[in-house]
Amino acid sequence: MLKVQKNYGYQRKAEEDMTTNHNKKSIRKEIYVTAFMFLIFFAGMIAYFVRFLVVDADSFIYNSYNSRFSVFADDVERGSIYTADGRAIAKTTKNEEGNEVRVYPDERLFSHAVGYVDHGMAGLEANYSFDLLKSHITLSDQINNSLTGQKSMGDSLYTTLDYETQKAAYDGLGMFDGAVIAIDPDTGKIISMVSKPDYNPNTIDKYWDDINDTEKGDSALLNRATNGSYPPGSTFKIVTTLAYLRDGNSPSDFFYKCSGKFDVDDYTIHCSGNKSHGQEDLLTAFSNSCNSAYASMGVEIDREKFQSTAEDLLFNDTLPTLISGTKASKFAINSDTKESIVAQTAIGQGRTTVSPLHMCMLVSAIANNGQLMEPYIADRIISDDGKVVSETEPVSYGSIITASEANLLNQYMEAVVTDGTAEKVDFGDLKVYGKTGTAEYTENKKITHSWFVGYAKDENGKKLAVAVIMEGAGYGSKYAAPLAASVFKAYFEK
Amino acid sequence: MVSVITSFSRITILSYIIIFTVIDLIQIFEPKLNEVVGSILTTIQAVMIVLFLCNSAAVIYFAKENPYVILTTVFQLIFLTVIAIFLNNLSVPASKALINNMLLMLCFSFVFIERLNFNKSIRQLINGVVSLVVAVIVIYFLRKIPEISKYLFVFAAIGIVSLLAISFIGDIEYGARLSFNVLGIRIQPSEIVKITYLFFIAGCIVTFRDFRGYLFSTIGAGMHVLVLVHSKDLGTALVFLAAYVFLTFIAYKNYILLGLEIGGAIVGGIIAFNAFPHIQTRFIAWLDPLSVVDDKGYQISQSLFAIGTGGWLGSGICNGMPAKIPVVVSDFIFAAISEEMGAIVAICLIIIYMCSTIMFLNCAFNCSNSFYMLVVSGIAIIFGIQTILNIGGVIKFIPSTGVTLPFISYGGSSLLSMFIGFFIAESSEELWISAKGRRRYDY
Repeated sequence: MLKVQKNYGYQRKAEEDMTTNHNKKSIRKEIYVTAFMFLIFFAGMIAYFVRFLVVDADSFIYNSYNSRFSVFADDVERGSIYTADGRAIAKTTKNEEGNEVRVYPDERLFSHAVGYVDHGMAGLEANYSFDLLKSHITLSDQINNSLTGQKSMGDSLYTTLDYETQKAAYDGLGMFDGAVIAIDPDTGKIISMVSKPDYNPNTIDKYWDDINDTEKGDSALLNRATNGSYPPGSTFKIVTTLAYLRDGNSPSDFFYKCSGKFDVDDYTIHCSGNKSHGQEDLLTAFSNSCNSAYASMGVEIDREKFQSTAEDLLFNDTLPTLISGTKASKFAINSDTKESIVAQTAIGQGRTTVSPLHMCMLVSAIANNGQLMEPYIADRIISDDGKVVSETEPVSYGSIITASEANLLNQYMEAVVTDGTAEKVDFGDLKVYGKTGTAEYTENKKITHSWFVGYAKDENGKKLAVAVIMEGAGYGSKYAAPLAASVFKAYFEK
Repeated sequence: MVSVITSFSRITILSYIIIFTVIDLIQIFEPKLNEVVGSILTTIQAVMIVLFLCNSAAVIYFAKENPYVILTTVFQLIFLTVIAIFLNNLSVPASKALINNMLLMLCFSFVFIERLNFNKSIRQLINGVVSLVVAVIVIYFLRKIPEISKYLFVFAAIGIVSLLAISFIGDIEYGARLSFNVLGIRIQPSEIVKITYLFFIAGCIVTFRDFRGYLFSTIGAGMHVLVLVHSKDLGTALVFLAAYVFLTFIAYKNYILLGLEIGGAIVGGIIAFNAFPHIQTRFIAWLDPLSVVDDKGYQISQSLFAIGTGGWLGSGICNGMPAKIPVVVSDFIFAAISEEMGAIVAICLIIIYMCSTIMFLNCAFNCSNSFYMLVVSGIAIIFGIQTILNIGGVIKFIPSTGVTLPFISYGGSSLLSMFIGFFIAESSEELWISAKGRRRYDY
């Protein structure tokens, strides 16, 4: 129909656009301008697309609304998880029937840190599921594997956890419920993280109903180290001290004569064991953990200053950490708060709650001259053929404590260990700075949580901050502090 | 075995598309290649198209174990061959490279509609055949009508009346009045009106060579756009607006006017943003889709999940989950392509669209006659803008507007208008000469 003779070039000139007086090139240059605009639009779109894939895609697609993860497992074998010293703590193997199973060689030792995959997911297994199911082996190996019908090996996750330290913390906690968390203050690396009661991730599917038995009510799946809400007890005196200083007082301003108790409204605060400490300055009040002195100090502090100091120290806020789903600590004092509650708050009772992670972060900031490094547990992702796929760089949150405040607290926390409540604890040759705590949590004042927060330094300047809580154990100096000592020894003696 | 074929095909398909794209990039500069090299390049592209279609169809055949796939693939190949022969034998195909691009887009369309919904792929093939026949008939009539530009008001009337009709009696889909049913066939008039609209604006400009041309085209374009806004078909309204802005720019060469028009369009956009709550929700869904993932952000989130999870190489055909994306087969088909064939193929596809837009504009540049120069420019602009709106919406570059991806999205009306536009562009030189009543073989 439209078939007509080709090759008409010579008359094209004759038919040149009669409708204008200009020549084609100059009158139609706007077509090129239009083409150029489209070029820019398309280029911008391609650049955005590439940026999305390179920068945002990995974090965006990790979402419960993305149902594509199940597909990955068809081609890639889930990678292993290792401690910093290279011990596999989660790996995929085949059982007798040839089915893939996830195995945790150390059973309960890393249960909360690593998590599980069998019944939903938790811990690192959940947060790094996507990375463990991606394979960064060379493309030719991948093609080779898919041609031979083999699965490619997924990338491995190296954690910051130290096996021996973790074991010392785990064994030290023994039969007690509670949590131990240890952080390298210079980098924010989490060296150990233990929470009890725990579970065996190998058999979690089988015992799921038992573990979740609400009548038992021990919430074994809860990671108490990051999500526990405990009364801080005397470890909170660190915060009270800072609030006192930030309220415009100098350390030398403080004097108190302790008679073993402090009356406020119709409430009496007793010193531990009803002991009367006599004449004290700020240092001895701190190292003796004198409740009366701190209660009297607490009611004098400007309440707004107290609240703002606590909030500067990360209370009532999401903790700056790469670990997801941590629990915010709570602190609330205002002009309506009863004086007796303020006094109790100053000694770490009252309505304040903290997570062990938060206390450990405070101590690691003190150990690091006031600068807080954001804690993390996933150190790097390594492909099966040994390439580093991604690596976590330490991130500083900034200074939450000034260098001079940190210096002062160092002296006080040292005195706790040399002359104060933790005097009798054997820390070996290490230089240790700490604070004990004994926190009441029921009406019965005989049953108390045992706390120790602090850090140790060896002669090379290597540091480790820990927070230990043992539920219902008793005095901090008797239970939590010795456990911290064994954690320090395990870490520094390797 | 199936997974081996699928995995391996990711690499082979990727290589066909990369080879095709590289040749495309060479060809947009219209190099003065000697005829042999030029035809070798075009032939390589044609081979890549056939390999792409056959390889993809083979994967779908093995993955879905559907013997009809082979049959439809044969028909698809015959269809593509007919188009290719027809266009290449046109006395003066304006751009041979553009023909290959269009055929490749049709292949993407066939492959992905087949993979997503087999029944729809058969309907789309029928749509294609119907579109081809209608496009040929349209060209035949255009050749017969001398001075087509004189009928500009007829075109305006057809456009505005049919848009008005749909605006009041059309069926509501996704909150907008877009289409109505005739004997079981869904017709979307705004797609066909794109062509009459271009004829109207080009006609205005070449008929009145003074201020009246601008005035009439502005009034006419404004009426089209307002009726579309009334139907809540904002994506198409934007396409019409862009075509008007760029056509008046090309015709009147006035940068101040261009600036004023773009400024006016922005003001109009802001008014529309404040007046229509559904634009605001789309805006929120664009800024942070995960915050409204349950509701308005669901589609774009699923689209980005698909693209991100597919990664650079893709999951392989039939290995992804594109069906999780609502209306994936029409508006969001690009996300399915990126998920299963990988982002590299997707980027190549964007480049192919970019080259096609430029090749269309080249066709316009080479038109001897200003009326067809403007019509073909308009086709290029509509093609380019629709691509940017569609792909940009799918990858969250811009808010989603609900326009189709030219030649790939499922849907008869949009395929038809693209076919007509494409045929007009390819035979623009031919049309003018024929309409003047001269036969080339007279010389």
